[in-house]
Amino acid sequence: MNVVFNFAGWLRRGMCLAVVFASLCGFVLSAHGTDSAVQVQLDTKKASPRAVESLTERGILRDYRFAWTSIAQAFELNSLDSLEGAFAGDAKQILRGTVLSQQRSGFTRQYLNQNHRLEAVFYAPEGDVMELHDTAEYELRITDGGKIIHDERVVMHFVVLMTPGADRWVIRRLQAVPQS
Amino acid sequence: MHRVLLICAVLCSAACPLAAVAQDLRVPASVTAGDDVTIPTTGSGKATFYLVGPGVSRKSEVSLGEEIRLQGQELRNAGDYLVLVCSDICNSGTFYVTAAKPASFAFLVHPSRVPVGQSDAVSGVAFPFDQFRNLVLTPVTVSFQLMAGNKPLFSKQVRTENGAAWFRTASGKSAGLLQVVASLDDLSAKRAVQQVASDPCNLRITGQRIPIGVLVQTEPVHDCAGNVVPDGTIVTFSATEANGKSTVDAPIKQGIARAQIEATGATVVSVASGVVMGNELRIGAKP
Repeated sequence: MNVVFNFAGWLRRGMCLAVVFASLCGFVLSAHGTDSAVQVQLDTKKASPRAVESLTERGILRDYRFAWTSIAQAFELNSLDSLEGAFAGDAKQILRGTVLSQQRSGFTRQYLNQNHRLEAVFYAPEGDVMELHDTAEYELRITDGGKIIHDERVVMHFVVLMTPGADRWVIRRLQAVPQS
Repeated sequence: MHRVLLICAVLCSAACPLAAVAQDLRVPASVTAGDDVTIPTTGSGKATFYLVGPGVSRKSEVSLGEEIRLQGQELRNAGDYLVLVCSDICNSGTFYVTAAKPASFAFLVHPSRVPVGQSDAVSGVAFPFDQFRNLVLTPVTVSFQLMAGNKPLFSKQVRTENGAAWFRTASGKSAGLLQVVASLDDLSAKRAVQQVASDPCNLRITGQRIPIGVLVQTEPVHDCAGNVVPDGTIVTFSATEANGKSTVDAPIKQGIARAQIEATGATVVSVASGVVMGNELRIGAKP
């Protein structure tokens, strides 16, 4: 009996510690959500009519990862500054509109644990535009007034148009589409 | 023991408040950009409504049991939309907004200036967009036409694939403006490419001795198709005499390149433009 009592006490302390630890971990992960690495894999085998050079491939990988890090920061912190550099044209305008309306509404969204499988499907003959398809997997968390109102692991499909800028590739169109 | 489990369950539910809230709303499966949408709700009392989509983050109070109206203006950007209705718990639903019918093109043509007679030298890419600047992914047929003056040079109908249609073709044979047109139903976009002469062909020079050396000039410079090579194209004259060699670069002006070279002895003058060589000219020594 004495053994059972000790076991129950151990169990109680252990479970409570586990809950506290999990809560702390959750808080830490949440606080640094945008710092978590954005994983991007790129497949350029189907790109046509122009083949993607290895240097271009590295540039796309680097700039697409940066773009999604920027989106995550902008939407989590409701900050427009994060959107500078990685976007142009309609994509930039829509993302800015999203942040501005979030600022008005007072809620935020987080894209956590992002994993992107990117496939180049069209690369223009002169190399001035590339279309990519992204199968993105991430945790979408909506928070309003410090309270999480939605938290879901989602798989999304995006059609992306990127064009080369002076020193990087920028996203001009980022459009979610249903899975075909 | 039961008390311990109860405490842990309460703590867990506090730490994971969403575990039991994911229920679906009756939202449309797909909406065309700019269309109004109504979402029915059930129950009674007030709730908080959230619309989370591209370019929109709306939060408003709604009455359960009444329809929620989403205006087309809120749904103008193609993409995924998440709808949340929260009272005690949050119900959620997602739907996609797809592009409306094409209303404009992004049409990229390269290059802006091209030598005549080059294979695969002119290319163009067209992306159809709807009135809200959404990329139209539904396949449509785009007609590409190239006109040199009033003469059709190239025509092709291309079905868009993943929202893109493209062509690539040779440049024409005559210098001048090349009109490149992409059209889809009553929409069209025009671009212009300047076709210029290709490399000089049959480069020939004439010359004469003058008091301070020799004066040489080309005959009117044409490419192999007879187009006048544009002014500013550099022609290089080389004069070789017994005591050395001198070289002069001269731009073509009004179809002819001209140079004055200091040379007193018997001189052989040759000419080149780019990789094309011309004739050699022998001029006797100064008397």
